[in-house]
Amino acid sequence: MSSSIRVLLVDDEVAIRRALRTPLNELGFQTVEASRGEEALHLFRTESFDVVLLDIQMPGIGGMKTLVRLRALAPRLPILILTVQDSEEQKVEALECGADDYITKPFSIRECIARIRSAVRRAQTPERPEDAPVQIGEIQILPMRRLVSKSGRSIHLTRKEYDILYYLMIHAGRAVTYGKLLGSVWGVEYRTEFDYLRTFIRQLRKKIEDDPSNPKYLLTDPYVGYRFAENPISEDLCNRPATASEEISDTNSP
Amino acid sequence: MFLALNAGAALAQSGGWLVIVPTCLMILLTLALAAVSVRRISFHALQAQHTRRERSSAEDLGEFILDTTHLDLRREPGPQLARMIQQIFAIEAVAIFDADLHKVYQAGEWLSDLENVVQNISLFESVTQDPEVGLPRRVLRIGNLPIGALLLRGEISAFTSDAIASVVAITFDRYHSHANVSRTENARQAEQLRTAVLDSLAHAYKTPLTAIRAASTGLSEMGCLAPAQFELVALIDEQAGVLAELTTRLLKTARLQAQDLTLRPEKVAVAPLIDDVVASFRERLNNTSVRTVVSREDLTIRCDRDLLVALLTQYVDNAGKYSTPGSTVTVQATEHPGEIIFSVHNLGPVIPLADHARIFDRYFRCAVSAGKIPGTGIGLSVAKRAAQAHGGNVWLTSDCERGTTFFASLLVPPEGGPG
Repeated sequence: MSSSIRVLLVDDEVAIRRALRTPLNELGFQTVEASRGEEALHLFRTESFDVVLLDIQMPGIGGMKTLVRLRALAPRLPILILTVQDSEEQKVEALECGADDYITKPFSIRECIARIRSAVRRAQTPERPEDAPVQIGEIQILPMRRLVSKSGRSIHLTRKEYDILYYLMIHAGRAVTYGKLLGSVWGVEYRTEFDYLRTFIRQLRKKIEDDPSNPKYLLTDPYVGYRFAENPISEDLCNRPATASEEISDTNSP
Repeated sequence: MFLALNAGAALAQSGGWLVIVPTCLMILLTLALAAVSVRRISFHALQAQHTRRERSSAEDLGEFILDTTHLDLRREPGPQLARMIQQIFAIEAVAIFDADLHKVYQAGEWLSDLENVVQNISLFESVTQDPEVGLPRRVLRIGNLPIGALLLRGEISAFTSDAIASVVAITFDRYHSHANVSRTENARQAEQLRTAVLDSLAHAYKTPLTAIRAASTGLSEMGCLAPAQFELVALIDEQAGVLAELTTRLLKTARLQAQDLTLRPEKVAVAPLIDDVVASFRERLNNTSVRTVVSREDLTIRCDRDLLVALLTQYVDNAGKYSTPGSTVTVQATEHPGEIIFSVHNLGPVIPLADHARIFDRYFRCAVSAGKIPGTGIGLSVAKRAAQAHGGNVWLTSDCERGTTFFASLLVPPEGGPG
């Protein structure tokens, strides 16, 4: 999959562009660079890309406006934002403005590539019929009957627990902000009832996780929201820092 | 009324509502006094000379009020008020005492012990005329609170003296309100500046660190390195990570070390907050499992969320760093009368009793960790500050059998009380 991925790399810092460009090109990606949002928008109108890596803190129109305009031009284009730690509000705003995911600086190339592949794969997946069964790891949902099972064993969920789980599973791999999840399950007037949601998530974890303190499926993106593991068996590998013996693997590549 | 409108318009252009409200009250009060004055004039219609003097006093009062509304409240108003009173009411001398600033302002000639005289008026005076020489003197009050004194020498009625004292008192009050607003605004701007500088620093540090990490991990991923080269690249990556962590921590500490740390209390659900903190360590706690124990599933506390997160983050981070591989870290929150006690327990090296008192001091590192485990000696001081900001405290227990537990108590405000 990686050989054909065209990446639009948008960052005002030339050092970061250089540090990303070389390994990405070497590992089979094609990169095109822009140092400003305006330049990125111009390039996007004239060339096609599979994914955009977008720094959020840039001069000019800035990353957030660039994100909004790119999203308007290409509703299904994977856009990953680059942020720094302790900028949770920025991450939440970007996700709610249409970003697919975020990468926190400083990051490893391994993490960056894993996120790019995951986002591109999701974008290339055909839209799923609404009532089609969803299976991720041991968890299965049958939307027609509102049934949930784990390794074939039925799990009893309340109505809201089911709605939360279903929403997160059909968006597996994506960070879903608290506000987005609350708005989708309870309605927009509940978008700020974060603690309410957290309490439900705790209950849900007790029902679907082997060890609710160390969840494998229902992951927390601290201070941002929740993420249902797209591939729970290899999720830990993606998040763990690279080690000498590991090589990048793309188990979902054709 | 024209004067009042003019004054209101002038204020609306020059000041905020905190200045306008007392000024409007002042204008209304003085107009009422002036109206009473005019009524008095009609009552003494036959005394033409006296009436002319009263009418003149009412006009003088109007002029005085208007001039006070144009005062520059960035400066102490005392000197200007003293001069204005002397000139407008054509009297020999004026002395004003501002008890808040503890200053005496004068116009005209006075005796050398003036300062004591006016201070004594403010402190003890209850009569309105000097019993010996008959000089009008007034205690300046806002409501029942004495805020200064006024002493006049010259031909002036008791009624006009009352009105002048009211206007001076209200002007002092306006000045102090204005000064408070300015102080608050300056503090807000300083906070904004500090945030902007820290954000800028974060960006400046993280950019080269990101480039170093991306380059070093990129080299590793490209997979064409000899084992020795690979080892060195891994070292660069590892140390870049340490530097990034250190930078994040220092910047976070700088934010929390603001002298004017202001609590932003909100209702926080304890168990989910602990989940968030633990989740933020997911990558770093690979060999350690974390158990959360909360005395009540729906336990909530009214506190500053960011400060509680900073406190627990520090405790969990410490527990993760010092725990025996494969052991369990336990994060606990228990309700007690008037407080909630948070604790984080781990098995690992014992902290000597002699270090217990100092371990929460900034830059202190105990012998167990110094030079062996990376750290700055800052984090626990932040935890202490966070707990104390909530009226609570921090402490620890540590021995070979039971392991090490760090505690923090946070006071729970009474129901319905201020946050």
